[in-house]
Amino acid sequence: MAPSLLYNPAKLPPSAALQLAQQAPIVLQQSLSGTETVDQWATYENLLLSCLRTGDDEAAAKCMDRLEERFGADNERVMALRGLLSEAQAENNGELEAVLKQYDAILEGNNTNIPITKRRIALLRSMGRVSDAASALVQFLDFSPTDAEAWSELSDLYFSQGLYSQAIYALEEVLLLSPNAWNIHARLGELQYMAATTSGNGGGSQQKYLAEALKRFARSIELCDDYLRGYYGLKLVTTRLLKEQAKQAKTDEGEFTLPEPRTIQRLDELATAKLSEIVRHSSLKDRGWRGYDEREVAAARELLSQNGIER
Amino acid sequence: MTWISKTITVFGGLLLAHACYSAQEHAALQSFKAAATSTLTSSTPAASSLPVDIAIETIVATLITVLGLVLGTRPLRPIQWRVWAGKIEREGEEGFLGNNGEVEKDYMGNPFSYLESRPSFVDIRKQRKEFSQWVKNGGSQGKN
Repeated sequence: MAPSLLYNPAKLPPSAALQLAQQAPIVLQQSLSGTETVDQWATYENLLLSCLRTGDDEAAAKCMDRLEERFGADNERVMALRGLLSEAQAENNGELEAVLKQYDAILEGNNTNIPITKRRIALLRSMGRVSDAASALVQFLDFSPTDAEAWSELSDLYFSQGLYSQAIYALEEVLLLSPNAWNIHARLGELQYMAATTSGNGGGSQQKYLAEALKRFARSIELCDDYLRGYYGLKLVTTRLLKEQAKQAKTDEGEFTLPEPRTIQRLDELATAKLSEIVRHSSLKDRGWRGYDEREVAAARELLSQNGIER
Repeated sequence: MTWISKTITVFGGLLLAHACYSAQEHAALQSFKAAATSTLTSSTPAASSLPVDIAIETIVATLITVLGLVLGTRPLRPIQWRVWAGKIEREGEEGFLGNNGEVEKDYMGNPFSYLESRPSFVDIRKQRKEFSQWVKNGGSQGKN
């Protein structure tokens, strides 16, 4: 299925990005004289992003010129795109520093320029100055605490540093802002599961993380029927919980409540049944089951075969 | 499917137009009659209601038009959050085809996926590197 230029291409695989960038000549051929349509400028912006990604700087510059012509060079969004363009074309660290200085200069004039603030943080992170990026992001969230995207970025930043509890906290903030986001519930569950597997001190905190992760995955499934990612996580957590219960007697800490072993057992069975149903339908390419990512289905199949379950 | 609904709608519209025309003709005839009689006798014109067949035709025509329009609407969408979300995950674009067989314009997949892709914080240099790596590796199947 052809990707659309109307949506941001950040999450697309390289093949789709290439497909989008190849539309550049057609889109750029159309003259600007006609009447404006709703989608026109979104198309230019996304084309610009795709072209930058595939290294087609010429077409990207053309898109940039058109956007600048229409919205003016002092539009905040256009400024951020212009910055992105120079970031992409910078060849060495010196040039990146120059771009960073430019951002600083812009922010000195107007420190409420949100797109540029975000670009500056992204650039800092990209240059490997993670702690600077984190402190800048925290500062940004101080004056714009309802920005779910920024909280999510902060979570990812902490996660990349192995700071699980901070990452979990930031992602919980995201959930406060968009409580229906099923993918974020699953993501939080994944973080908690990872925190549980890496926390060396064992016992209490590990169990707590696992109990939390169980809840998160269950919530993501509650929000979204047949959510492969949610069931995958649920399966992982229940398998681990059942294994640990076999090892040690039930330790009741009082701070958190782990569900009854019977409930966990049933959740495990449910996850197994759902996963094998999804894997079966997807590999047969049944109608109405073709929306899943193939890699995710392959991972689910592997998980099932690890657990010795025949499809 | 669409041509059936279109035919029914057009047929209903024709019937409705016919009913309107009949009513108009009837009214014209009545007023002509009234004018003709009032010159002879100055009595009040007879209160004339619309013939019942015109009324029935109007109602039937409206019903048929409505039927045609209802048949031509696009498939209804789930109103429960989890069903709708599940449809996005399970069926992807295929679940959101309009009558013309194309993906509906307002379909955008999971509306919360931007919280994970975070377009404002995109690391364009990393993306470029990954892309050129992908091209070097043959370009047909890449990761990420």
